[in-house]
Amino acid sequence: MTDAAHTAAPGDAPERSVLHSILIHATLIGVSFLMLYPLLWMVSGSVRPADDIFGGQTSLIPSQVTLQAYKTGWFGLQVSFGTFFLNSLIISVLATIGNVLAASVTAYAFARLEFFGKNFWFALMLGTLMLPYHVTLIPQYVLFLKMDWVNTWLPLVVPKFFAVDAFFIFLMVQFFRGIPRELDEAAMMDGCSAWRIYWKIILPLSLPVLATAAIFSFIWTWEDFFGPLIYLGDIHTYTVQIGLRSLIDSSGTSDWGALFAMSVLSLIPIFLLFLFFQRLLIEGIATTGMKR
Amino acid sequence: MKGYSVSRRALLKAGTGVAAASLLGLKSVSAQEKSIRVFWWGSQERADRTNRAVDAYKKANAGIDAKTEFAGWSDYWPRLATRVAGRNAPDLIQMDYRYMFEYARRGAIVPLDQYLGNALKIEDFGKANLESCSVDGKLFGINLGVNSSCAVYDMSAWEQAGVEPMTFGTNWDEFASKCAAFAKGNKRRRFYATMDASGHEPAFELWLVQNGKVLYTEDGKLGFDEKDAGNWFKYWADLRKAGGCVPADVQALDKSTLDTTMLTLGHAATVFPHSNQFVGLQQLNKAKLDITAFPVTKGGKPGQYLKPSQMWSIASDSKLPEVAAKLANFTVAEPEGTKILGVERGVPASSAVREQLAPDLDDVSKKVVDYIGKLGPYTAKLPPSPPKGAGEVFTVLERVSQEVGFGTSPEEGGKKFVTEAQTILKRG
Amino acid sequence: MVSYTAGVAVDKRPAKAGRFSRLFFAGNGAGYMFLLPWLIGFLGLTLGPALASLYLSFTNYDLLQSPQFVGAANYVHMATADAKFAAAMKVTFIYVILSVPLKLAFALALAMAFNRGIKGLPVYRAIFYLPSLLGGSVAIAVLWRQLFAADGLVNSVLWLFGIDGPSWISNPNYSLYTLVVLSVWQFGSPMIIFLAGLRQIPQDMYEAASMDGASKARQFFRITLPLLTPVIFFNFVIQTIDAFKAFTPSFIISAGTGGPINSTLFYTLYLYQEAFGFFRMGYASALAWVLVLIIAVFTAFSFLSARYWVHYDD
Repeated sequence: MTDAAHTAAPGDAPERSVLHSILIHATLIGVSFLMLYPLLWMVSGSVRPADDIFGGQTSLIPSQVTLQAYKTGWFGLQVSFGTFFLNSLIISVLATIGNVLAASVTAYAFARLEFFGKNFWFALMLGTLMLPYHVTLIPQYVLFLKMDWVNTWLPLVVPKFFAVDAFFIFLMVQFFRGIPRELDEAAMMDGCSAWRIYWKIILPLSLPVLATAAIFSFIWTWEDFFGPLIYLGDIHTYTVQIGLRSLIDSSGTSDWGALFAMSVLSLIPIFLLFLFFQRLLIEGIATTGMKR
Repeated sequence: MKGYSVSRRALLKAGTGVAAASLLGLKSVSAQEKSIRVFWWGSQERADRTNRAVDAYKKANAGIDAKTEFAGWSDYWPRLATRVAGRNAPDLIQMDYRYMFEYARRGAIVPLDQYLGNALKIEDFGKANLESCSVDGKLFGINLGVNSSCAVYDMSAWEQAGVEPMTFGTNWDEFASKCAAFAKGNKRRRFYATMDASGHEPAFELWLVQNGKVLYTEDGKLGFDEKDAGNWFKYWADLRKAGGCVPADVQALDKSTLDTTMLTLGHAATVFPHSNQFVGLQQLNKAKLDITAFPVTKGGKPGQYLKPSQMWSIASDSKLPEVAAKLANFTVAEPEGTKILGVERGVPASSAVREQLAPDLDDVSKKVVDYIGKLGPYTAKLPPSPPKGAGEVFTVLERVSQEVGFGTSPEEGGKKFVTEAQTILKRG
Repeated sequence: MVSYTAGVAVDKRPAKAGRFSRLFFAGNGAGYMFLLPWLIGFLGLTLGPALASLYLSFTNYDLLQSPQFVGAANYVHMATADAKFAAAMKVTFIYVILSVPLKLAFALALAMAFNRGIKGLPVYRAIFYLPSLLGGSVAIAVLWRQLFAADGLVNSVLWLFGIDGPSWISNPNYSLYTLVVLSVWQFGSPMIIFLAGLRQIPQDMYEAASMDGASKARQFFRITLPLLTPVIFFNFVIQTIDAFKAFTPSFIISAGTGGPINSTLFYTLYLYQEAFGFFRMGYASALAWVLVLIIAVFTAFSFLSARYWVHYDD
């Protein structure tokens, strides 16, 4: 609610009347409020006394404000959420680096280089978009187990360096195709290697799409719970999402206040990331042209 | 001050080292140590107690190492299943009564009979108890807590409605009229005397046994017919019509978790959980709760039975089953271990352990222990073990009960349930 | 926008044929070098495991004992004897058919609202993006109950108008729609992609249309919509594939049951139940491959239909 209040600052685009802009803001704030009600309820649940959460409590205003749940939540498991946040951060950063590097290399091959069987591989790559992850779950698990990678972060990070996420390749292929071919043809004439063209011409020109891939990649890795659930057993290696799930145990008692508090905290990093980099994100997609 | 900051830095460094090692997939291996892994589901409270018990055991037994892992109930099973599929199962596994049959029959856990009397000193659990942890005559589980189904009610809600709550020996007809009377006296909106237990398998099973039937026969067939199931659905349909139990769409909010019981959600004054859940339920509910037995059938037989709330089982992949058995024994039979675990997992099976713990129990835990003690006259012999596919039949009962709640006739529901259950058992 | 030519000299010399063929053969090696990481990942982490699961789909495999070959039995059972499979198909198709267009319409409407010069726009956009950041959080189960349970917010509001609403989330007649609402609520990613698309439409086209006296509605149908079709197509395909694969909403809200009365039994949830609830890995693999087939057919049709309604401007 406080967000909405300070964004409704007076002053607007010059061609609009004040009344008009007030109307627009009022509508947006109204819709925002409706949209955000569940989230606001979660925030309010995180500062309520524990026994105030359930029993048909629809009001957003807590009977009493306490930050107790943040404390009990943070230290609610034998390892503090600080560790989980650090783990999530490291995994997400590594996965992001892997995705961006591997997807851009692959996309460069598909968008710019000619080689035997290119269309065949491209079709297969697109095909992997359709594969539900349940299909490969068990065989992959057995594979990682044989490599002795279970209970480490490797199964969550290393595959990204092999461009397993076709969405990003697809996005980048679209973008690279939009870069005028004259540039690399000229460079080729001058004897530049494919690697140099990729590194010196394509990548520097592709910052928007790289940023897009990086942001989506970070957010999606941060949110993922199934991979970490299956592969991480030691609580010291848990990510935030698994930490959150461990706070709730249906066969025992659940501290929902603590869950809400930690959920709120887990949203903050990706919210800020989005808030500050959304311009890059939109630009990155805009410049791919979204053409076949 | 300075010394503190240095040691803190050293700690941080060590921490980073661990993180880096785990990242690189390195595992510290020390050759002499016998290392086993322990895995259970439950809350942080349970984790703290279990870890403390494991640490105490390690301290007392040099050369033994045990790594622990835990998860919430719903995350526990897919994780265990993937581990077992990958031949990477933890050595000591917390097992559930129903899953025990699945894991035992598929050969994922080992029989424990050979350890009885040596690694496992649990003879004083009693014959009935050991049987309840057995599959096809072999012991597969070490009881972590005795459990039974029960009724839990909000004392003040019944009082406010002006109706005497149920107690030991209340029969089903009396229960129904109490609920109807409750509806008349009740003033709270969307609030009813009881949950709708028609889809709750323990309730159905208990009712069958009271009426001289069983859920499953010895040879793994259904021990009841369409008419029995139809009667069961009809009892609840009538109660629903009389406003005695919650309507179907409200009952469907119940996800078989403590925080979604009709009691916790504020829709009913009575629910039918397992006795080990009483402590948790009380923690989640402001109102004072009491625990009693299920209604009985007039002129019928006793229908309740004691079963384990959880057990320890040992994986067939375990290289050190004996070490695992000894650790399990420490947690259920040795005073040092049992004191740490307390009654968090349920009432201990050993009478010696119960006596040891009795002085330290709080009022709520005491009610549970007393309940199990008083249950004697209402308990029957353990029913035949559920056949393969029983887990799926369980979900069918819930679904068909909902269909009846939303309009299918009880007779039709009875037919449907029996037909589908038979198909599933045939498929196995 | 990015200028591609900034700081790089553009060479427009015509290329000679001989050079090109040399470059082609040089490129063949280079191509595979660049493709190598993906190729390793694809063969090792996707194709290998996928083929393994294709094999498993013709077996009985309970995770614990080794798989037994049963031929097409799993597929036959699915087609002839599995009522739950039929229920899951129905639920999933309804979900796809309702949630995808609604989500896209919602995302487009908000993208258009956000595509003008309003102060504080980034903050609004971020706020509207927030719900999609919630992903598979366990908190959603509670939040949705808070809205749609018997005594949730929706019914509290209806009560003000004298309406005694049902418990939407746990009533088989409505529960699936609460999941559709959840999906529409998490419209962030398609909105961002629409915003990007709107930005590519040259402003002068609207100015010219305004001069000609075209109404806003006319401008929308004559300019915005046609020029946006490539983006709509992209969003449509991606969102539909995602909706077919949807798992977490039902997994979290129905606590993995797909209830009440299978009314929220998403296809992938059924697959999950068969695999991890009842240890039927073989059957679950067969289910997965049928889903792949369905998505493939859908995607093929989408691309075929695209030539009739998607306008590419080149």
